[in-house]
Amino acid sequence: MATNTTVDRKAVLAARHGLVPASNGGRLGGFGNMLGKELGDWFGTRRWIVQAIIWLLIINGLMAFIMFIVPAMDPSAQMSPEEELVQGLGLYFNFAILFGAIGMIILAQDEIIQEKQSGTAAWILSKPVSRSAFVLTKLLSNFVGGLIIIAGLTGVVAYAELYLASGQALPVLPYLMGLGLILLTLTFYLSLVIMLGTIFEQRGAVLGIAVGVLMGGLIASQFTPLVSYFLPVKMPDIALALMQGQPLPTIAISQLITAGAWSILFTLVALLRFRREEF
Amino acid sequence: MNSSNGNVIHTQGLSKAYKGVKVLDGLSLEVPKNSIFGFLGPNGAGKSTTIKLLLGLIRPSGGSAMVFGQDITQESLGVRKRVGYLAQDPRYYEHMTARQTLRYTACFFYRGPSDMIEARVAEMLELVGLEAKADRPIKGFSGGERQRLGIAQAQVNYPDLLILDEPAASLDPMGRHDVLAVMEKLRKYTTIFYSTHILEDVQRVSDTVAILNHGRLVAEAPIEELLAGKGSSAMYQVTVKGRAGQAQKRVESQPWVQQVLSAAEDGQTSWQVCVSDEDAAEDQLLRLILEDRDLRVKRFGRKTYNLEEVFMSIIEGSN
Repeated sequence: MATNTTVDRKAVLAARHGLVPASNGGRLGGFGNMLGKELGDWFGTRRWIVQAIIWLLIINGLMAFIMFIVPAMDPSAQMSPEEELVQGLGLYFNFAILFGAIGMIILAQDEIIQEKQSGTAAWILSKPVSRSAFVLTKLLSNFVGGLIIIAGLTGVVAYAELYLASGQALPVLPYLMGLGLILLTLTFYLSLVIMLGTIFEQRGAVLGIAVGVLMGGLIASQFTPLVSYFLPVKMPDIALALMQGQPLPTIAISQLITAGAWSILFTLVALLRFRREEF
Repeated sequence: MNSSNGNVIHTQGLSKAYKGVKVLDGLSLEVPKNSIFGFLGPNGAGKSTTIKLLLGLIRPSGGSAMVFGQDITQESLGVRKRVGYLAQDPRYYEHMTARQTLRYTACFFYRGPSDMIEARVAEMLELVGLEAKADRPIKGFSGGERQRLGIAQAQVNYPDLLILDEPAASLDPMGRHDVLAVMEKLRKYTTIFYSTHILEDVQRVSDTVAILNHGRLVAEAPIEELLAGKGSSAMYQVTVKGRAGQAQKRVESQPWVQQVLSAAEDGQTSWQVCVSDEDAAEDQLLRLILEDRDLRVKRFGRKTYNLEEVFMSIIEGSN
């Protein structure tokens, strides 16, 4: 009876006002609308330009400085094209992963907390919106932002820089796989930060824990290889091995699984935690 | 699904506690369809808590509630599809314009056609008088403008239930007047459940009033009953001219008269007659007074209260 009433009501609305009701959506009610708004916040404002400039300067600018300007200033630092290529690849993947992760943490640390504190989360959740959709749009919109700007844009520019430095066009497929590793690492930190945002009320806690995981993991991995089984700290090495056509480090599979599994787990925890949030 | 006998909202023992402290305690009320239901109470009484429970923004600690026959915890999405909500302190994305905000809100309920959505948005902007500022970022809006935007976004989806938390707050008298006029106009299309501190507004537009204090429902009645003091001892106000002593004794001797308070001024005597049996009073009180042919009755009628008097006496009584 309730279903018939709902169908009848929709038909009445459509006839009366000419408006077509949104689909039920179920567990993802409101997802499309929110995602459109979040992507609009990324790419429909100056935000994407600002982010593009920042990442091009930090990642590609630093690369250019080390690969082109330093050798020009110090001839003894000049290298052969092959050495330039290896150095350049190492620079790019290390910079993109390290700075990209920091950047993703900074960009995403506010996504949930800001909405909770400003009251906009309560406003949105008073509409027919599922809480899961709310969290997933935050994840997906920042993933797309990271994909296009931090991995995509800097990756394209880095490819050009490496070509200029070495005179060689890099094989595309391994390069794309390397970009995929960057993206996987960014996803790890993005999902971590989103999860922390659903747990804590203070930005400091989110930033502190996320940066602590990043830097602590990198430092600890210098002293014990065990860390590599729990945190994605060896992605640059794997990317470099891919590009050089060398056998992948033994840690490669566990790194991929670790990053992927943690990302899924963080996302699930975020979804479950946010479902319990009260406004 | 049980439609709760034509009631849009039906709560049964609804409670909410934070760390053992009850902020809402066993609320049971019913809101009839197409009524304007006023929800009163001092600050911290539990009004906003009740509203948030109905919308699924917080979870109940006990009891249950149905909106449109749908459980507020299990079927919250279905409830919110039919509700328009204005928060006490409305918050929006500051970088968005009023038009963008309304469009964004409408798109949670409708997927098109886009020109119809735009038309609806324009209609709402006109309704609340924000056409001139429709394309400015909300960041620069005053409190009153945000409130008006809030009313617009609450109605954009043709809701079956409008939940308004302090709708006239931040509005000047003209704005308040407009809000009340809109509420009156919407009555035939929707049910309105609203909380407010402005008793004058409640008295003007509400069909039923519920009063909350310390998380408990202390009164609920149609507005006329509340103002007539029904449920408590009825009181009649009588003003007579002439020698009223005999008439007063006659009235006081009736078994259904609890008390007669008398005051004389300017040759007239005013009585406040408290009665325990309203039917007997309606039937006999005037006749008893008129038995004295020398007595002139200048005024006779049931005492009506203004809502502030009722509200204060109920709140003080429940404290």
